[in-house]
Amino acid sequence: MSTLLRRHVFLALGIVLLACGCKREPTTWTVDVALPLIDDGWSWVDVIEGASDNGSVDVTEGSPAIFRFEGPVADWGIPFLTELPDTIVFQELTPDFMGGPFPVPPGTVLLDSEEDIVFQGIDQQFSNLVLSAGRIDYLVESSTDGYVEFQYAFPSVTVGGESVELNVILPPSEVGAIQTESGTIDLEGAVIDLTGLSGNEINRIASRLIIGTPDDVADTAQVYGADSIRVQMHFQDMMVEQVAGYFGQESVAFDLDQEVFKPADFPGGFLQIEPTRAKIRFRNTVAADFQLRWDALLVDDIAVNHPVLGIPQLITRADWNGYEVQPTMWEIDLLETTPKLFDLLSYLPEAITITGDALVNPLGDVSGGQDYFDIRHPPQLYLDFEWPLEGAIEDLSIIRSFEFEGIDLAGFEGELIIKLTNGYPVQWNATGTWDYEDLDLDAEVFHAVASAFPMTDVVEVRIPIDEDRLSSTATLTIEAAMTSDGAVQFTGAERMRLQVACQGTYQANIP
Amino acid sequence: MKGCLTYLFLIATTTVSGQLDSLSWATTVWGQYRSNVLSQELGRLLQRGGYIERPLIEAAQAAQGINMGAFGYTSGVALDWCSLRPLRNTELHLCGSFQFKSLGDFRWTPEFFDLVFTGNAGHLGRWDVLDGTRMRTASWVELAVGVEGSNQNRIELGLVYRMQSYDALIQNGYFLVNEGLDYMTGSLRGYLGWAEGPSWGLVTNAEWHFLREEAPFAFHLRLQNFGFVAAPRWTELKIDTLIETSGLTLTGPGLSVESIAQLTGISDLTSTSTDRYRFDLMPFRISTAFEYPIGPRSGLDLQAQAGDWMPTPRASAGYRRAVSKQYQMGIQLVTGGWGRLRPAAWVRWRKPGQCAFMLFLEDPLGWGSSTAYGRGITLRYQNL
Repeated sequence: MSTLLRRHVFLALGIVLLACGCKREPTTWTVDVALPLIDDGWSWVDVIEGASDNGSVDVTEGSPAIFRFEGPVADWGIPFLTELPDTIVFQELTPDFMGGPFPVPPGTVLLDSEEDIVFQGIDQQFSNLVLSAGRIDYLVESSTDGYVEFQYAFPSVTVGGESVELNVILPPSEVGAIQTESGTIDLEGAVIDLTGLSGNEINRIASRLIIGTPDDVADTAQVYGADSIRVQMHFQDMMVEQVAGYFGQESVAFDLDQEVFKPADFPGGFLQIEPTRAKIRFRNTVAADFQLRWDALLVDDIAVNHPVLGIPQLITRADWNGYEVQPTMWEIDLLETTPKLFDLLSYLPEAITITGDALVNPLGDVSGGQDYFDIRHPPQLYLDFEWPLEGAIEDLSIIRSFEFEGIDLAGFEGELIIKLTNGYPVQWNATGTWDYEDLDLDAEVFHAVASAFPMTDVVEVRIPIDEDRLSSTATLTIEAAMTSDGAVQFTGAERMRLQVACQGTYQANIP
Repeated sequence: MKGCLTYLFLIATTTVSGQLDSLSWATTVWGQYRSNVLSQELGRLLQRGGYIERPLIEAAQAAQGINMGAFGYTSGVALDWCSLRPLRNTELHLCGSFQFKSLGDFRWTPEFFDLVFTGNAGHLGRWDVLDGTRMRTASWVELAVGVEGSNQNRIELGLVYRMQSYDALIQNGYFLVNEGLDYMTGSLRGYLGWAEGPSWGLVTNAEWHFLREEAPFAFHLRLQNFGFVAAPRWTELKIDTLIETSGLTLTGPGLSVESIAQLTGISDLTSTSTDRYRFDLMPFRISTAFEYPIGPRSGLDLQAQAGDWMPTPRASAGYRRAVSKQYQMGIQLVTGGWGRLRPAAWVRWRKPGQCAFMLFLEDPLGWGSSTAYGRGITLRYQNL
C-alpha cells in the first residue's frame, strides 16, 4: 500500500469516526414560567341570560340598573302544515292480448298518458308548496324482450327552475327475468304547483307518462301477452318550507314548556324579581286567522290565574302582501296574574308551562284559498320584560363550567393561581372544582368567600399542578352563591372577575 | 456532506500536486467557533445534548451582562495558486483560488437568552427586548481566476456557488408579564428567509502588499469574497403580531381560549412570500496586517479584520520569533470577532526552497478547558 493510499485510508476513517461521534441526545434545561391565562367573568347579563337563546338581553346601567329582555321565547310549530305524508304512484302496462310474440318496431309509443297524481292523506287544500327537503324514489321494471323507454315528466314540479323528469331506458330482459332500474330524485328546494292538469285542482301534481321503444335502437322488441312494464314513484320525507292554499279548520294543541332557570346553571336560591313591565305576545305570522285559547299557566306545576285564561281570542291573519310579513299581535300582561307570577319566579322555577289550543280559520275560508305559511317565519311567543335590578337575594346559586384543553409541558411542576374579584354589592360564596378527564387524577376542590363590594379583596387560591394534570383535559366548575344583606340596589356595572394564571417550571427540550 | 467534500478536495489536491511544478501554491484548512457568552461546556450540551444545569446558564448570563450575545463559526478549505511563468510580454502571472467555506452568525439580546433558558418568571415586570436577535448561515464554493503582479499583489474574479443560506431576524420584539400575573404583552416582527435552491454569483478577491527591501516593515491589505449572489425563489416567512392581554376570555370574539384552541397552528400568525430572485451581498471580509521587525530574528504583528458577519472587527497583536532555521513561532492576543479577549499561538516549519507548514491555534488553553468560549485551528501548507 503506497504512502498516498495509506493517508487516504486514515483520512476517510477519521471522517467516519467524526460523523459517528456526532450522534446527539436531547438537550434539556429548566425554564421558569409565569403567565396569565384567563381573564373572564360574568356580569348581570351572563348571570341571567339563558332564559332565551334568541332574545336580546340588555342591562342599562343606572341607579338602579334596568334589566330588559325583548325577544322570542318560543316558536310554535304547526306540523300539519309542514310535514306531508308519503305518496306512492304506481303504473303498470300489460298487453291486452294472449300469446305472442308480436314485434314492436323501434320508435313505437305503447302508452302516452297525462294524469294528476293525488297526494293522499292531506286534509288541507294546498295549491302551492316549496319543499325544504324530500325525494322521489323510483323503480321501473320490464319483462319485455326488447328495449323499453320511460319518460315520466312532472311539469308542475320544478327544482332550480327545471321541471322534474325521469328518463329511463331498460335493455331487453331474458326469458323469465325482469329488467329493473331504481334511483332517487332530490326534491330539496322543489317548487310544486298542486293545481293539477286543469289548474283548478288542489293537492294534485300534473304528470305525463310515456312508455315505448326507443327509436335509436335497431332491434325490434318481441312482446308477449304475459309481459308487463311497471313504474313506481315514491314521494318521501317531504318537509314544507312554504305552503299556500286553504288550511282548513284544524284545531292545534298549544302546549309550551319554557325552561326558565336551568337547574344546571341555577341550582337554587331566591332572587326578588319585581318587574315594571312584563308582557307576553303571541305573534301570528301565518296568513290565516287563529282562535287562541289559553287554558292554563303553570309555574313548576303551580297554577296561576289570569283574566284571559279560558277565553277564546281571535287573532287575525298576518299580511304577506308586502315585501315583508306584517304579523298580527295579541298580548297579555303577566303582571295581572294571581298569585303574582314573579313572586313565583323569584324562587327560580325550572319551567313555565302554557297549555291551550288554537283553531285555524275559525271563520272558514274567508280568503278564498289564500292562506299562506312560511316556516322560516314561525308564529312566536314574545316576551317584553323590564326589571329594575333591586331587591333581596338569598343564596342565589349559579354554576358556570369552563373546559380547558390540556397543555403538554414536559416535567411541569407548579401551580394554577385562581383569583376571584367580586364587584357585586353582595357576598359570594364560591366553590370551585378543577376536575380532570383522566380518572386517575383526583379533582381539586377549593372554597372562597368574596365579600360584598366595595369591601372585597381579591380572593386568591393556588392549586398545585404537575405535568400530568396540566396535560389532562379539565373542567373548572364554579358554583357561586350570592346573598345580600336585605334589599340591594344594583348599578348594572357589577362583574365577578375570574382570573387564572400559571406559575411553575418545566423542562425545555430540543430533540 | 462537508466531510466528503473536504476529503475529495484533499484527494484532488494531493493527486495533482505532482503536476504543480510550474506553480506556487498554498492550501489552508481552518475551523473555528467562538462566542462571547456560551462556554465550551454549554455549547457542547447544546450541540451534543444533555441536561444544562442552571449554574452554566447563570455563568453565561453573567458573561453576557447587558451586551448582545454572539456565537459564530467559520470553517473551510482554500487553495491559492500562481503560475511561475509570466504572461506574454508582461510581469503579470496567472493566478487563481478555490475555496469552500461555511459561515454562521448568531446574536441575541440578554432578555432573549433569559426567556429561552430561564423563562420569564424570574423577571416579572421587566420589558424583555428582543430586537436584533438574529441567525444566519451560508455555505458556498468559489472558483476564482486572476492575475498577480509584483510584490504578490493580485486581483481575482470568482464564480460562487452558494449551496445553502438561512437568515432569520427579529426586527422588533418585546415581552412583558407584570408582577401581579394579570397583564401580558408581547410583540414580534421578524422573518425567516431561505433560498429554495442553490445560488450563483460573482465575487472579487484582491490583495495589496507593501513589501520593500528598503522599508523595515511590511503591510498587507486583503479583500475577499466581495460580490453578490442571486438567490432563486427566496422564501420569507414573516411574522408581525402583537398580543396584549390580561388573560384570555373563555369564549367570544377576538382572542379567547376557544379561538386559540381552534388555531390551525403558527400559520395563522405568519405570512409567506416568495421572490423569484433576490440579490444577496456575500459575507465579504477585509483584513489588514502590519509586520514590524524588532530584531534579526523577531518581530511584531498587528492584524485587523472586519466582515464575515462578525459582530465586531477582529484585531490581534503578536510577537514572532525564529527559534531555528526551520522553526518560527509566535504568540498573539486576539479580541473582537464573536468573542472576548483570548490568546493565540502559532508555529511554522519550513524546509527552505521546498515547502512550509503552519499551525495556528486560537485560544490554545481552551482546548483543554470546558470553560473557554471557543476553539480555532488553522493548518496551512505552502509550496515554496
